[in-house]
Amino acid sequence: MEDYKFLFKVVLIGNSGVGKTCLVRRFTQGVFPKGQGATIGVDFMIKTLEVENSAGQREAVKLQIWDTAGQERFRSITQSYYRSAHALILVYDLSCQPTFDALNDWIREIQEYANPKVLKILVGNKTDRDDREIPVRVGEEFAKAHDMYFLETSSKQGENVEKLFYEIAAELIEQARQKGGLSRNHHNSSVTNLGMKNNISSFQSNCCSGGVGTNNNSSN
Amino acid sequence: MDVSSLIGIGDAEDLETPEGIKRLCQRINEREKQVNDNLQTLLSRKLNLETKIDSCLIKYQQLYKASICEDSKKLTSIISHTSDLAEKVSAKVRNLDTARMRATEVQKRVHDLIDLQLCSQGVMTAIKDEDYEIGARHVKRYLSMDRNILEKTADDVSSMTSVNQAVDTLEKAAKEMREIVKVKLDEAIKKNDLASVERFFKIFPQLGMYDEGIAKFTSYVCTKLSSIAEKELRQSMEIAKAEKRTQVAYADTFTNLLENVLRIIETNQPILENYYRYGHLLKMVKILQLECDDQTRRLIQEFNKNRLINRKVNQINDYIKSQSTQSSSTLGHLRKASGSMDKLNSKDLDTLIAELTIMHSRAELYVKFIRRRVSNDIEKCFIAGDMTEEEKKTALDSMESVIKKSQLSNQMQEILSTYLLFERYFMEESVIKAIGFDSHETGQLYSSMVDDVFFIVRKCIRRSIGTQSVDGVCAVINNGGACIEQELINAFRNALKSGYHSGYIDLAQAYSAFQSTIQQGKIQTNDSEMARTKFTVTLNNADKSTEYIETLFQNISEEIKVSFPNIDSHKKEMIESCLGGLKSVGDSLKTVVESGMQQLRSSAIKPRINPWIDQFQSSNHMLTDDELSVYEAGETFIQFLIVQLDGLLNSFKKVLSEKNYDILVLMLATDVTARFERAIKKCAFDRNGGLVLDKEVRSLGTFLTGATSWTVRDKMARLTQIAIILNLEKISELSEYYDTRNQEGPFTAWRLTPNEIRNILKLRTDFKIEDIKKLQL
Ligand SMILES: Nc1nc2c(ncn2[C@@H]2O[C@H](COP(=O)(O)OP(=O)(O)OP(=O)(O)O)[C@@H](O)[C@H]2O)c(=O)[nH]1
Ligand SMILES: [Mg+2]
Repeated sequence: MEDYKFLFKVVLIGNSGVGKTCLVRRFTQGVFPKGQGATIGVDFMIKTLEVENSAGQREAVKLQIWDTAGQERFRSITQSYYRSAHALILVYDLSCQPTFDALNDWIREIQEYANPKVLKILVGNKTDRDDREIPVRVGEEFAKAHDMYFLETSSKQGENVEKLFYEIAAELIEQARQKGGLSRNHHNSSVTNLGMKNNISSFQSNCCSGGVGTNNNSSN
Repeated sequence: MDVSSLIGIGDAEDLETPEGIKRLCQRINEREKQVNDNLQTLLSRKLNLETKIDSCLIKYQQLYKASICEDSKKLTSIISHTSDLAEKVSAKVRNLDTARMRATEVQKRVHDLIDLQLCSQGVMTAIKDEDYEIGARHVKRYLSMDRNILEKTADDVSSMTSVNQAVDTLEKAAKEMREIVKVKLDEAIKKNDLASVERFFKIFPQLGMYDEGIAKFTSYVCTKLSSIAEKELRQSMEIAKAEKRTQVAYADTFTNLLENVLRIIETNQPILENYYRYGHLLKMVKILQLECDDQTRRLIQEFNKNRLINRKVNQINDYIKSQSTQSSSTLGHLRKASGSMDKLNSKDLDTLIAELTIMHSRAELYVKFIRRRVSNDIEKCFIAGDMTEEEKKTALDSMESVIKKSQLSNQMQEILSTYLLFERYFMEESVIKAIGFDSHETGQLYSSMVDDVFFIVRKCIRRSIGTQSVDGVCAVINNGGACIEQELINAFRNALKSGYHSGYIDLAQAYSAFQSTIQQGKIQTNDSEMARTKFTVTLNNADKSTEYIETLFQNISEEIKVSFPNIDSHKKEMIESCLGGLKSVGDSLKTVVESGMQQLRSSAIKPRINPWIDQFQSSNHMLTDDELSVYEAGETFIQFLIVQLDGLLNSFKKVLSEKNYDILVLMLATDVTARFERAIKKCAFDRNGGLVLDKEVRSLGTFLTGATSWTVRDKMARLTQIAIILNLEKISELSEYYDTRNQEGPFTAWRLTPNEIRNILKLRTDFKIEDIKKLQL
């Protein structure tokens, strides 16, 4: 089982109560947990998946998913996990305006602590609810303005949850491959970086598009 | 079935009088004895039968072997007969069992009836005499009787009224007792009469008032705790001063506070277990926790106020904010020590961090103690059978929720948060300072910053282990990695950015150097000397850091194993992952070393060695025997080259760390051999020329091998093979060396392609082109 080609760290952030823990549980255990309470500090889970790369081969990817506590008093713990993250999932509750308003603060945190090359995904959770307060467009635009991918999910019904993590895995593999192809040198890696942004559409489109990264170069 | 008929008592006895009951009891006992005797004989018969069955089975097996078919039929009937018999016997036994059970039941009911009378009489006297222990015992006895059966008994016996009367009396008495002990306990509490408090606390469970007893008693204890705590908090500073422990005054007070609570549990748990049995500790803890929460809150408030925590937190946050806006514009540039550290006083911060660490670890220990005690109590209750599996789970969950929802937990999280902020700031500022105050002593390979930076990071991580919090340790490990990467590695990168200015200047370089000297009036030998030293020292520092990272990783892993011996595998994995992140900082360091060495190669090696080697082209490689002896008598090309290379390497051997020097030698070997090969290809050779070349290549190999502990054979492979080819007597000799099937020997694999071999052969003027072309390769 320990046979994997890639190991990526994925960190979930966002206000308390937006459903980060539920998203992770839904993905790693296939359940929607009831009454588990707010996360204390950080928790982490591991899932190994098989992802098809742009060349059509299947590859084993180990995702190390860090589920951080949204409550303010855990900030000094959670901040320490940004630096080593390969991907950051920023979650808000689409039925709760304040969680969306807080996004700017979260973006500031990311800028301060995360690697500037980190893959960023904005997630509007709880699509199953009928009291939506944030229209899809608004979320989409915010993501676009901050160079993030965008997706709406429901950890309750499982909508887009698999897709979220599989797309992240596929994208990270693609990045790793491009980086390996270029140079291990630090100064050059920004070239890879430019290729992966401004690509919201591929996350929005159907997941059958095997690799997100395939049309990256043409977009630049 | 009626009891009396079953046990063979024809007519109803007089159950009104104790004598009558006693008589009945006697007869029941006699009858029971009879029944028991009967049972005994039947049971012995049963044993007999079982032996028979056994022997039948043995016979059956024998028969089976002999004549199966006929005998089996017979056997079947025997067995079924036997089983019928057994069936009948066991039915009888069953009947007898029932009889015995009923007899016991009757006995119990009779006892109950007797006790009922006794209790109802006794309880009133006890109350009158204020002998509450006895009274409570009577009530307890009454409560232990099954009310329904009591009523049924009352129906069965003719003197219903007397039973009911007794029940009434006892009900009333129980009610009265309950009232009395409540009042008495309250009075004792009011009078602060500990002996009486404990006396009545013990009576409560006998009257079935478990929760109330625990609640009243624990609240009483809490008031005592509270006054002690208040006093201690008021005096904390004075006590600390007297003991010269002002730096940890609040940690001390906090420790006392928690220990006081734990002591209450320690002393009262035995009483609780004795009089209340198991499974009640959580109730006590729940109430105590509220008190503990209250005291903790007050203490932390005081701590925050007197240690100026909020102001420091704000100061640091402001500083971080100002740094982040600054650094985003000047990304990659070296941060300067802010000087705000002086405002905060790093020594102050250091002691404050230590105090926070102690506070958190004490709370962590306290919670561990509570968890262990309560879950043990629940487990004992479960084992005693007073609790179902389901109830046990609920109880344990309830314990967790008491802990999780407590103010104490909340305060611990706040403390940890403050600690982490301070620790991070302390680490970053100290590291930046250490880098800023870097000092290098002439002649040393390394400067002070690496030792200093790793000392600081190690100190901080070790201190985090002291919090006893896995989350805390993980965060500081993460921050340590970030700090090394951001501050130290960036400092290395900056130092290497300007490159290595080789002291050797060729004409073009000399010209431009001359120009810039004129323009800026500054480049002096001293300056460039210093710049070169800075470059090599940085390379060595980076090399040493890769070792230090590995050591740090190993030491911390070890220490965590010792300090957290019982953590679950999940938390362990978490820590390991964070440690892995720290270790991977080593990769960034290796990249730094690598790129620095490449710079050294392109500026200090390549330009120097090229002209030396190119001299090879200017000498003659077609030699008569006389010319050969003359050449070998004088200074040969290779002697010259080795002297030069030796001089070059020696100048670096003094200034590079062992590993870096080895890397340099390998780089040099790569470049020298490549250039040499290039030079050879530009020359023409005859037999003697080849002979000389072969010797010279061998000398070069020996020299390079001696220069490093790493192997250079690989680097020499192509050159060696070229020399072999050029040193051939005849072309046909090549087959002795060139044999693709022969994988043994010094030339396991040819590094030269057949085409290259042919081209090299062509350098020998005495070899014929046609022969070369004819070669089978
Ligand atoms: N309707 C609906 N409710 C959800 C969904 N996801 C989470 N919730 C609910 O939202 C609440 C909070 O979910 P959590 O996953 O604990 O939130 P969190 O982001 O982990 O919160 P913190 O750990 O405090 O940072 C819970 O009551 C969930 O049942 C969803 O997709 N739909
Ligand atoms: Mg959570």
